[in-house]
Amino acid sequence: MLDSSVISPAGPVGLGVTGIAASVRAGETSAESVTLAALEQIARYDGELNAFLEVPREGALAQARAIDARRARGEALGPLAGVPVAIKDAICVRGVVTTAASKILAGYEPPYDATVIERLRAADAVILGKTNMDEFAMGSSSENSAFGVTRNPWDRARTPGGSSSGSAAAVAARMAPCSLGSDTGGSIRQPACLTGTVGLKPTYGRVSRFGLIAFASSLDQIGPFATDVRGAARVLSVLAGHDPRDATSLAAPTEDFEAACGRSVRGLRVGVPEEYFAEGLDPEVGESVRGAIRELEAEGCVVTPVTMPHTRFAVATYYVLATAEASSNLARFDGVRYGLRSHDGDAARDLRAMYGKTRDAGFGAEVKRRILLGTFVLSAGYYDAYYRKAQKVRTLIRRDFERAFEGVDVICSPASPTPAFRLGEKVDDPLAMYLNDIYTLPASLAGVPAMSVPCAPTRAGLPVGLHIAARAMDEATMLAVASAWEARSPAASLVPPLVVPAKA
Amino acid sequence: MPGPKLDRALVLHVAKLASLSLSEGEADRFAGELARIVAYVEQLDAVDTADVAPTAHVLLDRMPLRTDVLVPCLSHEDALSQAPQVEGGGFAVPTFVE
Repeated sequence: MLDSSVISPAGPVGLGVTGIAASVRAGETSAESVTLAALEQIARYDGELNAFLEVPREGALAQARAIDARRARGEALGPLAGVPVAIKDAICVRGVVTTAASKILAGYEPPYDATVIERLRAADAVILGKTNMDEFAMGSSSENSAFGVTRNPWDRARTPGGSSSGSAAAVAARMAPCSLGSDTGGSIRQPACLTGTVGLKPTYGRVSRFGLIAFASSLDQIGPFATDVRGAARVLSVLAGHDPRDATSLAAPTEDFEAACGRSVRGLRVGVPEEYFAEGLDPEVGESVRGAIRELEAEGCVVTPVTMPHTRFAVATYYVLATAEASSNLARFDGVRYGLRSHDGDAARDLRAMYGKTRDAGFGAEVKRRILLGTFVLSAGYYDAYYRKAQKVRTLIRRDFERAFEGVDVICSPASPTPAFRLGEKVDDPLAMYLNDIYTLPASLAGVPAMSVPCAPTRAGLPVGLHIAARAMDEATMLAVASAWEARSPAASLVPPLVVPAKA
Repeated sequence: MPGPKLDRALVLHVAKLASLSLSEGEADRFAGELARIVAYVEQLDAVDTADVAPTAHVLLDRMPLRTDVLVPCLSHEDALSQAPQVEGGGFAVPTFVE
């Protein structure tokens, strides 16, 4: 039996996605022991971090034992054999409470699995638990969760980012080797950046959204977090593929994205948009990211400046379009088919009152703010001036990418303008919070794949992320660049100080 | 772009459209916050979008239509399993027609 506590911090979880799967497939370790190790990490750290909302311990162990039994019978195991995966609470898991961190869905047990959950199960992964998030994925800090904040494992006074806060913190603290998040305007990449993990948003349409609680349907995309690039690539290979149950799912062939990891990047053209290194960027973050780009140059990449003149309009564009779509998507939470129903006052007798009071009681302040903004920009008299206008600017932002990709293969920038900020720092200023997403929003609006990979931390030891965007459907080139940087990155082997080697 | 006065009255109108009962104080607070956000959004006025087509969605051209055949869906029991109130095999709601 492999004594993994000797070779990696955090015990078996520290082996990462590919290490765990190889070890379980070879019979060196059991799926059950890996799952137990992950559960121990959760018991050790999560009281303080609050990354998980639900940990169905017995269910996870039963899945692991079933995988071990299949191996014992001589059956071949899948690419995620025995790998525990933490799942953002916006993704439906049959029979496991799924709330999107909203009071309006408290206690909701989905009667079905999301497509991505079916795919993980088919690959022999273990569904470890549901992770905390900003309510309905609206936020960048976890402070909009109805169930308490998640803390950053690198500094517990700081945010892990958001909205996929718990999925990022779980991987950073080695409570899980990988997790699923969802990204509408940066909700995978920004928390990955702030927690020193790898986080990837696929091309829009690459991964099925069936079973994802919708925020903004033209932007939402599910993707992985992992401790390393190869792990994220392996999970993406499992998630990707056409799904007839999602009308926006692309009919694209599935790929082995892992094959791109370790591939030579010599001659690849890396675009650096000066608009992304402008006002508001923390100098230490800028220095760290430029350092990473210099290393890519040393690996043979050709670095060229590109211009993306509409970048500064991305935040305004996004907050019109995303809130408009959200106001429509969240109309389904009305106290009729699932979730909370208000019985307050005339709600018991009057349908309109029941809708209004249920939604008032169930939604948090940021969700209400966005529903109001979205309803406003779609309402008669304002539609053309705001919604239609933002859709046109979206076209210009897409063109910025199309033009840039005529001359370069990937675009590199910071993932977030600052390292993790303190919890409470921006909570009373919604606009300041929105501006935090400036570097991740454009790729979302353009529908192209993008990811964050850890680069040199700040002098205070806080993580920084290199953001890499690629052409639609070209995750492979993006992963090749990410993996080339990771091989040289001083951050690749760093774990938060609180993660001590597990006792055997 | 019209400069709407995002005051309490407009917030209450929009809240009604969105079926959201706001408690006392919320309407005033949201009016102030939304006015600031909308003022920020109005920077889009500066962008020349003459002859620019709107983007409703990316990649629509690559999305195939599915064949129009019945596939299994949630059972009646599963579909009702999470409802706050069920009556006669359906979702129960307060009376809305006399």
